[in-house]
This record gives sequence, structure tokens and C-alpha cells, in this order.
Amino acid sequence: MLSRRCLNRALWLGFSLSVGYAVFPVAAQPTVRVIQLESVVMADGETIPRDYTPDGRNLSPPLTWSQLPEGTRELAVVCADFGAGNPPPWVHWIIYSIPGTASGLPEGLPITWDQQIPTEILGSIQGLNSWGRPYYRGPAPPAGTPHLYHFTVYAIDAVLGLESGLTREEFLEAVDGHVIGRGELVPVYERFASPE
Amino acid sequence: MTDDDKHQAAGITRRALLRNAGAAGAAAAVGVTDVLVTPASAEAPVEQTRTSADAVEAYEHFTSEEAELLEAIADHLIPSDDEGPGALEARAVRYIDRAIGGALADSIDAYRSGLAAFDRYCRSSRDGSFMELSHRDRTSALIDVETGAATGAGAGFVGSSAAFFAMVRSHVIQGTFSDPFYGGNMNFVGWDLIGYPGVRTAVTENDQRRLEADDLRPYRRSAYEWDEFNKANVSNVRRRGRHAD
Repeated sequence: MLSRRCLNRALWLGFSLSVGYAVFPVAAQPTVRVIQLESVVMADGETIPRDYTPDGRNLSPPLTWSQLPEGTRELAVVCADFGAGNPPPWVHWIIYSIPGTASGLPEGLPITWDQQIPTEILGSIQGLNSWGRPYYRGPAPPAGTPHLYHFTVYAIDAVLGLESGLTREEFLEAVDGHVIGRGELVPVYERFASPE
Repeated sequence: MTDDDKHQAAGITRRALLRNAGAAGAAAAVGVTDVLVTPASAEAPVEQTRTSADAVEAYEHFTSEEAELLEAIADHLIPSDDEGPGALEARAVRYIDRAIGGALADSIDAYRSGLAAFDRYCRSSRDGSFMELSHRDRTSALIDVETGAATGAGAGFVGSSAAFFAMVRSHVIQGTFSDPFYGGNMNFVGWDLIGYPGVRTAVTENDQRRLEADDLRPYRRSAYEWDEFNKANVSNVRRRGRHAD
């Protein structure tokens, strides 16, 4: 038998949900097509080469995509580790406002403000990762613990004119209802304990 | 949006930021990606590693290898450019060298182990000493040390690489902008960089107007050259060639 307190909680929960639904109806979401996301340097389940980690030059990896849905106006890429961060994920990279005509990202995008974005993706904006930096920083998991790194490409159905400095969460909120395609590449990286 | 990102968006140079921030703001302002000098190509090797001023600096505590590496780091953090000199010309490393023999003596082991680890890290991750790397790779290596990502790379950082970076950054800023009495800020280049008019015992209304009009001639005097600011032990300390506490 429910106590009075439990009953009250249940009633309040039901009330809150019904009010929430009435005030904030769920927006109609477009159909999300699957995009093929690939890289010449890594594949699903394979180890990320060290040049794309702080154990190497820590360059942003080259990516290519195909099977973009019709109506793609902009693209974005996020690299996130859902096994880290408080709360997860730990975001290693976010780049958005990529022209819809682009077929990928070249290797080694800028890490300082005075370096130019390549012409083929001119207009792209690197948002803030979980270090608060507007550029790619590769995986650096604790030694002995392999982590998965989710590179996700998003196809957007509008030119949204997003401002610079967005985090992953702010970006996802801004594109809500505009994502018409999504693709993922999930390589792995593990560091090993130093022999020192 | 972080400050760095705002600066990027606005296209503000680091030097302009430092000037606007003033001495107090400068300490919080300088980060790895806030570099001031852009080489012709970020991927091009840095042709020649500059050394402290034009002469060979005699250091009391750092070895020549440690000093060379620390000078290169300082030069990358606050480089000279067409608007003026940077940390190298300010002799920021001389300041640190003197300080670790005195007030910052607790940091000497952290410098020894940190510089050695940083050298190993550059060689293992980027296949060369810091001085041999391209401008981009120097920046990238320092970012990884700053964020702590270099900690687990097997280079032997004691604790987090971020702690080593924070120490170096803090001391380079001190050596560039603090009173020249302590061995850095040579020829007042740090004060000139941020437009600091110098220590003054009084500021008239006319001084204030000229300062706001960027027309106030700076006093190029250490605070310790003013009797009003002189510490009781300064003269003794200076005779020994050490800085005061």
C-alpha cells in the first residue's frame, strides 16, 4: 500500500510531466539518414595512430564522408569520449558551420588563431572542446584503459549562422530539429604504463 | 565562450591584449596559443633558436642545456614581434635563474625534472628537441604540457605536466613584467609592452590626462631606486647580487 508521501510524489510527478508536455511539446524531428564517415588513417575499432594523439604530433585526423542526405546545407563534426568527463562525454573536438559542399576535413586543422582554415572548408568554426580550447586535442586516456573515441558527423538542413565558441551541448541545442544525417567512426586508443 | 575564443573572434593580438590588460591582467592573460609572432609558415622549422639578448647569459643555477630550453619556451610564450621585444629580451630566464637561488628555491627540483621530462616528451612525440620543432609543433607540444595530456606519455613528468607548465608560465610572466630589480624586465621592455608608465610617488592631474592620451613619458626606474619604496635590506641584498624577498 502506498504511503501518503509516496502518493503525493507520484501525483506531483504526473502533474509535472503533464505540464511539461503541455508547455514544451516535442518538436517534430526530421528523418535522420545514415552518413558514411571514414578516415584514411583509422577505422572502427582500430587504434588511432599516435600522430593524432599527444603521444605524437596531435594533429586533427583527416576525415571523409559520403551519402549525404539531399538538402544538406551545413555539416559538423564532434569527437567525444563517452567514457570520460563529469558528466560524460569528454569532448576532444567540435567543428561546425562546415559548408555543405565539403566532402571531408583535411589533416591538421589550425591550433592557433592566426592559422587559416583551409579554403575547401572556409567558414568552418572550431568550437570549444572540454579543455575550453577551439581546436582538436587527441586522446590521452589513463594508462591501461582503452577508450573509444566517437567521431560523429552531422548533416544540417539549414545555414544557421552559428556563433563562434559553442560547446558540444550548445551546438546540439542550436541544431535541434535541423539534423537530417548522421554518421559515426569509432576508433580506439590506449596508453601503456611507462617503463620508467 | 572563453577569453581566448573572444580574442580570436575579434582578431585581437596578444600584445594588444596585454597592453590593454595592464600588469595585473597580464599574469592571467598569456597562454600557449596566445602567441604573438606568426612565422611565414607554421609548419616551417624555426630557422634559428634565439638566445638571450645578444650576449651569452651567465646562469648561476641552470645548465646551458636547461637554460637554452627554458629560453626557447619563454620566447614562444611571449615572443618579440614587430611591436617590440618579448620575454627573451626581458631576460625572463635570468630572473628565474636568480629566483630559484633565493625566494623560489623550492622550485629548483621542479625545473630540473620538468625541463628534462619536457625534452624527452618533445623527442618522443615530435622526433626532435623543442628547438628543432616547427612553430606549430612547438605550440602543440606546449599545449599538451599545459593541458596535462603529456603527463601519461612516458616522459617522466613528476605529477602533472600541467603543474610544470603553470610554474614556467607564471615565472616567465614575472620575469617579463616584474620590477627590473629582480633580474628580469631588462630595459623595462615588459612595462613598455603593457604601457605601464613606471613607479610614481605622485600623479598629477596633468599626468593623468597625458596618460590617457598615451603621451605620458614613462619613468624608467626600479621601485628600489626610490627612497620611499626602499626596503631596509635592499642595499645589502643588492651588494650580494641577490634579489630581495
